[in-house]
Amino acid sequence: MTPSTRADAAKRLPAPILQVKDLQTQFLTHDGIVKAVDGVTFDLYPGESLGIVGESGSGKSMTALSLLRLVPDPGKIVGGKVLFRDQDLMQISDEEIRDIRGRDIAMIFQDPQSSLNPVLQTGFQIAEAMLAHKKATKQQARQRTVELLKRVRIPAAESRVKDYPHQLSGGMRQRAMIAMGLANAPSILIADEPTTALDVTVQAQILELLADLNQELGTAIMMITHNMGVVAGLCTRVLVMYAGQIVEQGPVDQIFENPQHPYTWSLLKSIPRVDALRHERLRSIEGLAPDLLRPPKGCRFHPRCPFRVEKCLTDLPPLTEVKPDQLAACWVTMDRAKKEMGADQLLDIRPGAASGLEPGKIIP
Amino acid sequence: MFTRGTLIYIGQRLVLIVLAVLGVSSLVFLGIHRLPGDALFSEHLHGDQYQQTLHHYGLDRPLWVQYVNFLAGMIHGDLGESLVNRGVPITPIVLREMSVSAEIGLVALIFTVGIGMTFGVVAAIRQNTWMDYVLSTTSVIGYSMPNFVIATFLILVFGIWLDNFTQGTFYFQIGWPGRYGSIGAIWLPAFALGFPYASIVARLTRASMLEVIRQDYIRTARAKGLREAVIMVRHGLRNALIPVITILGPLVIGIITGGVVIENIFGIPGLGKEFANSILNRDYNIVIGVFTGYAALVGLANLGVDLLYVVIDPRIRY
Ligand SMILES: Nc1ncnc2c1ncn2[C@@H]1O[C@H](COP(=O)(O)OP(=O)(O)O)[C@@H](O)[C@H]1O
Ligand code: SF4
Ligand SMILES: [Mg+2]
Repeated sequence: MTPSTRADAAKRLPAPILQVKDLQTQFLTHDGIVKAVDGVTFDLYPGESLGIVGESGSGKSMTALSLLRLVPDPGKIVGGKVLFRDQDLMQISDEEIRDIRGRDIAMIFQDPQSSLNPVLQTGFQIAEAMLAHKKATKQQARQRTVELLKRVRIPAAESRVKDYPHQLSGGMRQRAMIAMGLANAPSILIADEPTTALDVTVQAQILELLADLNQELGTAIMMITHNMGVVAGLCTRVLVMYAGQIVEQGPVDQIFENPQHPYTWSLLKSIPRVDALRHERLRSIEGLAPDLLRPPKGCRFHPRCPFRVEKCLTDLPPLTEVKPDQLAACWVTMDRAKKEMGADQLLDIRPGAASGLEPGKIIP
Repeated sequence: MFTRGTLIYIGQRLVLIVLAVLGVSSLVFLGIHRLPGDALFSEHLHGDQYQQTLHHYGLDRPLWVQYVNFLAGMIHGDLGESLVNRGVPITPIVLREMSVSAEIGLVALIFTVGIGMTFGVVAAIRQNTWMDYVLSTTSVIGYSMPNFVIATFLILVFGIWLDNFTQGTFYFQIGWPGRYGSIGAIWLPAFALGFPYASIVARLTRASMLEVIRQDYIRTARAKGLREAVIMVRHGLRNALIPVITILGPLVIGIITGGVVIENIFGIPGLGKEFANSILNRDYNIVIGVFTGYAALVGLANLGVDLLYVVIDPRIRY
């Protein structure tokens, strides 16, 4: 997608198709409550492609699973609303949410090897998605399955229908998963790290396929990834998650150009470049994923943030508009960090290094 | 499902079964002729009559000649004649009794797998609820009761108490109605035979089902919007069955050997009853026949179990 079409797409935003409000999902463990999703609020617009980025454990998958009430035990959705077509998905009956799953909102997962049932034919598993919602007769479903397999560019689709998952390659399995997701022409497709388990060349093909489907079918895509490169290639808008919360959101171009949250800034720095010095820098900010059982007080990023100030240690910054369409949850923001702390020239990015608040020390 | 390769595999296994059956019966043949006394011991015959009878059955010939004759008969499916009921050919008897034992064994197996899987699946789905505890406890009790205890208990309850209590309106026929192929009297013995093993199947199914319902493909099935029952049966159970089949082999052998006791308690004219009778009567030819029948039964049952793998798990192809 070229930057200009992306900017256009980001601009013309109709009424949202999905509104998530203050979503909270927790795990009750022996050691205490893990707030995996902690007050997540965002909108998804029809036909858009929204990226959700964040490092492993930041709550991306649990956010996605919560939308369809698929959170695994012992996880519980303890608060929030998910509005879809005038109904709150968190309040409707089990039977009603089952109807939404796979029909209006479909989801595909990281590892296509384990996500397909090894003892059932691949084609059957796709057709099943249609039959579950009485979208087709058995015969129609079989026919449409072949069409779908062709649509996701699986060669020799007619004969592949009867193959079991172990007879397909990793890339083909993920294509089959996508076909399954598209079976009922859903308005939303949630893709949870769909390329992470695949070879690099296959990754690119799958991303291209998703981009095409998004354009041609108008299916809104929620692309979950820990890779900023994937966002750059596919998405119009992006949410950045950290420790169960959204710390920044906005149009991809704008955020890549001018990130306002230090965490987003560090993520963008960490896209590998030829420039070795920058690559060095990013290493020092990694490590130390936050413990969601005992999250840091104040801003959750403060133990790792080079720009932290006193207030960050005690007060949680709210997600506020920092630029048109761009929200960030930071007391300082990168504009100020650049102006006052010389963020652009910064070589030492240890916690507190730029602001001078106990440099290098990990303050819990 | 069954490819040409599978058919070739079945052919090979059948050849092996025939060889195993010949091997087993040869061992029994040779072993039995080393026992003190001879086949006519219980007949109390004397002098000429004794010699005549020995000669009639070829028992006066050298052992190796007898053995060659025996093998020649076996190859034609002829197990010889009964030594007690003179002139009665053994092969039809053994075949008929094999069918009775197989029938009871099969029903017992259906009980075992049916009850075991139901218990296991329900316990897994309702993990750590009272249902789970009740089912798990029942399983432990079932497992710690030998089949003859269950058999005696069943006879007491269904054959006597129920009969007395309902003035004969309801009763279970104990014993065999005398008609082969009838299944009227099969339920109690089959239950006694199968129930202890059902507990093993239940525990294994529970564990394997708990493992399966955490798998990613179950999450995929949910995300598709499938009904919970469909998810459990179509996507869960079939995968949970794979480890269960692994113990089916030893379990089937347990059921076949357990049948010896059960057939004798319930008076069922199967191989097991014949086994006891023929040994008591020293009807050596029948003893050999019974062993031959058992060898065939075990071989065929194991082949059946191995073929189940192919039916259940498409990743396995012979
Ligand atoms: N089964 C579980 N038990 C306890 N905590 C869990 C469990 N699954 C996930 N979590 C918590 O939820 C957080 C978010 O997980 P997840 O959404 O899978 O992260 P992501 O997809 O961003 O890598 C994890 O950091 C972990 O603390
Ligand atoms: S500057 Fe403060 S509020 Fe902003 S990310 Fe750093 S610690 Fe958090
Ligand atoms: Mg994840």
